[in-house]
Amino acid sequence: MALIELRKLNKIYPNGVHALVDVDLTVQEGEFLVVIGLSGSGKSTLLRCINRLIEPTSGQILYRGQDVTHIQGKELRQYRKKIGMIFQQFNLIKRRTVLLNVLTGALGSLPVLPSILERFPDNLRQEAMEKLRIVGLEDKWNVRVDALSGGQQQRVAIARSLMQHPEVLLADEPVASLDPATSHSVMKYLKQLNTDYGMTIICNLHFLSLVRTYGTRVVALKQGKLIFRGKPEEITQEWFKEIYGEEAEEVEIA
Amino acid sequence: MGTETKSQTTTAQKFQALILDIFFGIYFVVTLHRVFYYQVLLSLRKLPPVTVEIVLLYIGIGTILGLALFFLNASPGKLIFRQLPDVPWKKAVAEHFLWIIGVLTIATGWVVTRVSILDFFSQEGLAGAKRIFSALLSPEWSILPQALLAIVETIYLALMATLFALPVAFILSFFTARNLMRQSPITLGIYTVLRVLVNFTRSIEPLIWAIIFTVWVGIGPFAGTLALMVHTIASLTKLYSEQIENVDPGPIEAIEATGAHPMQVIWFAVVPQIVLPFLSFTIYRWDINVRMATIIGLVGGGGIGTLLMQYQGLAQWHEVGLLVLIIAIVVWIMDYLSARIREALV
Ligand SMILES: Nc1ncnc2c1ncn2[C@@H]1O[C@H](COP(=O)(O)OP(=O)(O)OP(=O)(O)O)[C@@H](O)[C@H]1O
Ligand SMILES: [Mg+2]
Repeated sequence: MALIELRKLNKIYPNGVHALVDVDLTVQEGEFLVVIGLSGSGKSTLLRCINRLIEPTSGQILYRGQDVTHIQGKELRQYRKKIGMIFQQFNLIKRRTVLLNVLTGALGSLPVLPSILERFPDNLRQEAMEKLRIVGLEDKWNVRVDALSGGQQQRVAIARSLMQHPEVLLADEPVASLDPATSHSVMKYLKQLNTDYGMTIICNLHFLSLVRTYGTRVVALKQGKLIFRGKPEEITQEWFKEIYGEEAEEVEIA
Repeated sequence: MGTETKSQTTTAQKFQALILDIFFGIYFVVTLHRVFYYQVLLSLRKLPPVTVEIVLLYIGIGTILGLALFFLNASPGKLIFRQLPDVPWKKAVAEHFLWIIGVLTIATGWVVTRVSILDFFSQEGLAGAKRIFSALLSPEWSILPQALLAIVETIYLALMATLFALPVAFILSFFTARNLMRQSPITLGIYTVLRVLVNFTRSIEPLIWAIIFTVWVGIGPFAGTLALMVHTIASLTKLYSEQIENVDPGPIEAIEATGAHPMQVIWFAVVPQIVLPFLSFTIYRWDINVRMATIIGLVGGGGIGTLLMQYQGLAQWHEVGLLVLIIAIVVWIMDYLSARIREALV
């Protein structure tokens, strides 16, 4: 059974923008799926529909065969817990420490009141330290996140999502605000989660070179439509021009 | 440019221009007749009474004038909305009409507020000014203890009003923040009702609230506290909720994606972004409240204003002088402190 299945998914924003048009997509467990497309093609919208941060206008979302398109409340929160997410802008709580930020990843499994009083159980703190070790930041646990570099902040965000024990990790242009070397270090952590822990990764990317290095499968969006599905090496020059437009030139990322 | 803007003109804009023209026409007729003719030309001190007939006449003539300007395209309304075609003489008429309206408005303002250079520089007037200023400059120090007690009452009045208002405004502000309330029609309904209520409450000045509360709970500091509190709730709610509307949505998405409860989302993604601005607004508001509290006594709201009214009523200007001095010093200190604290916060 497929892990995630999108059926004829459409999203029309209140301002009339048709951001997703009849998107059909199946994601298998253990894949490293990369989504490419021009700016505005609907990549972020697609990702946010999967964990229902955005409500699709029509169509269906199936998770392990279960329809999750319209679940609400507690059921929706339980579902979101299985899906970690990281962002281009990291979206950490600035002014707070690395450790607290990592702990917020576990909010979905914590009772509301104690968590708001920031009474986190000791084993959870230990687990947070372990996740920080995975991303190589254990010595920074007591530092305010706004004092970290971009690459470090993204690794904190990865550690935060690991606290959910996610089955899937959604990454919305995770390296778009990072320099090439840092980009590779962050991408390597994602790859490691994919190969070592068998985590399914769905990642929006801009650079084709990164796609070829890290992706196991690629889909391309153009004006809200899925126009390509295949292996990274199957993106020929023709497809490239089709996806990015005639004038586009491929740039390498070191 | 003329043709380009004309093609963009919508019916709604045309209608606005028409309304404006009719308004200008009536305004012109009324001010011309009642102010310029009676008061400037004839220098009448007492105006003839306004009858229904004359009002209808004003409206009639004014409307005809407005319609004429509008349909002749010499329309000041169209000029303001940039819909006027490029015909020099029509433009000139519209422009000059607006100039005349402007001059008439200033003349009306002059007459209505009874500006009189004569009164300002009259013998009697100057003598009065000298008396009050010299009294203010030689304050009566014997009432200092009484005055200090009153100013302390005033400061506490402002403090209590601010403190009581704070938690209420804090909670209300989440319900009046559009970005948090647009999820469902129900929350949007609550948002709209609360917003209207808050804006209405805020538009009534604290002085008027004080009058209401002196009738409700009787004259004294409690009425003043309530008045300031009500107004503070409304204005802090507005300031707070605007701050909430401006938070970065990124962390909200990130915390939502962990499967967190909405309360947890607000606590971890919204609150950290707003505490400092909230503190800053609150201190600023306390500063304003001290200022307001000094005058809220004028209508029986307690504090130093009440004392001021008593001495002013008895024409004891030296005592008034001391009170004014103390108010000035306290307001200045509050102003300075609040500015320094707010600087340190951000
Ligand atoms: N909240 C919104 N309201 C209205 N329109 C939106 C909203 N979010 C996105 N859009 C529009 O939907 C389309 C797809 O946007 P989306 O963010 O999914 O694209 P993207 O592929 O992620 O682009 P980018 O590479 O710039 O991040 C765009 O035309 C965008 O302007
Ligand atoms: Mg995007």
